[in-house]
Amino acid sequence: MSQTIIHAELPAELTARARSYVEDGWAADFNELLAEALGRYLESHSAKLTEGFVLEDVRWGLHGND
Amino acid sequence: METTDPGPPLVVCDAGPLIHLDETGSLDLLGDFPVVLVPETVWREVARHRPGALSQSSVILHRVSPRTPEPPEINAMAQALTLHTGEREALRVALEHRSCILLSDDTAARLAAGHLGIPSHGSIGILLRAIRRRQRTKEQILSVLRSLPDQSTLHLKRSLLEAVILEVELHA
Repeated sequence: MSQTIIHAELPAELTARARSYVEDGWAADFNELLAEALGRYLESHSAKLTEGFVLEDVRWGLHGND
Repeated sequence: METTDPGPPLVVCDAGPLIHLDETGSLDLLGDFPVVLVPETVWREVARHRPGALSQSSVILHRVSPRTPEPPEINAMAQALTLHTGEREALRVALEHRSCILLSDDTAARLAAGHLGIPSHGSIGILLRAIRRRQRTKEQILSVLRSLPDQSTLHLKRSLLEAVILEVELHA
């Protein structure tokens, strides 16, 4: 798998928690943890799901009964 | 057969709608609901990011803590969907008030709500509902929708926002 190097600004507290998590041995390294976290976020916040909720809001907002 | 208008339901708020509605000068729209519950963790989150949203005179926000321990189904979904503490607490409070709706702009939180049988809506729904409830004119809401990219931290794909605006123009 090809890799891309990124520069990101993260909250200090979040970074410290992530580094501690890696140091405790729960992830191979910071990069793996970041990739895993990003992947999980994108799965649970898929554009298709988000769009579906917005369209549902449009129907409810304009035509609902409450 | 006679049908009865169920009237506005009680709502439980996640941080997103409180922040996004306040950013667009629309927080007063929540005043149409009989009770607006804000879970303690959500309250603290909003206080950190947009404290002014909590002191608007146009809507009374009730700061609440869950009365019951977190049910296992919320815990399981929170792990799977990586829900924040505030979202978890909002789901707990919503479960304690069975006839309520959850207001959230977070996809994962709304997904979890659906699995728990809790109806959920977001800021866009509240804005459009304001036309139906005659809280705002169609033109006022169109103006708010068009200003979202500049005025709000609610991030929507541009083409989706254009589709929403078109729907309001044609069918509101």
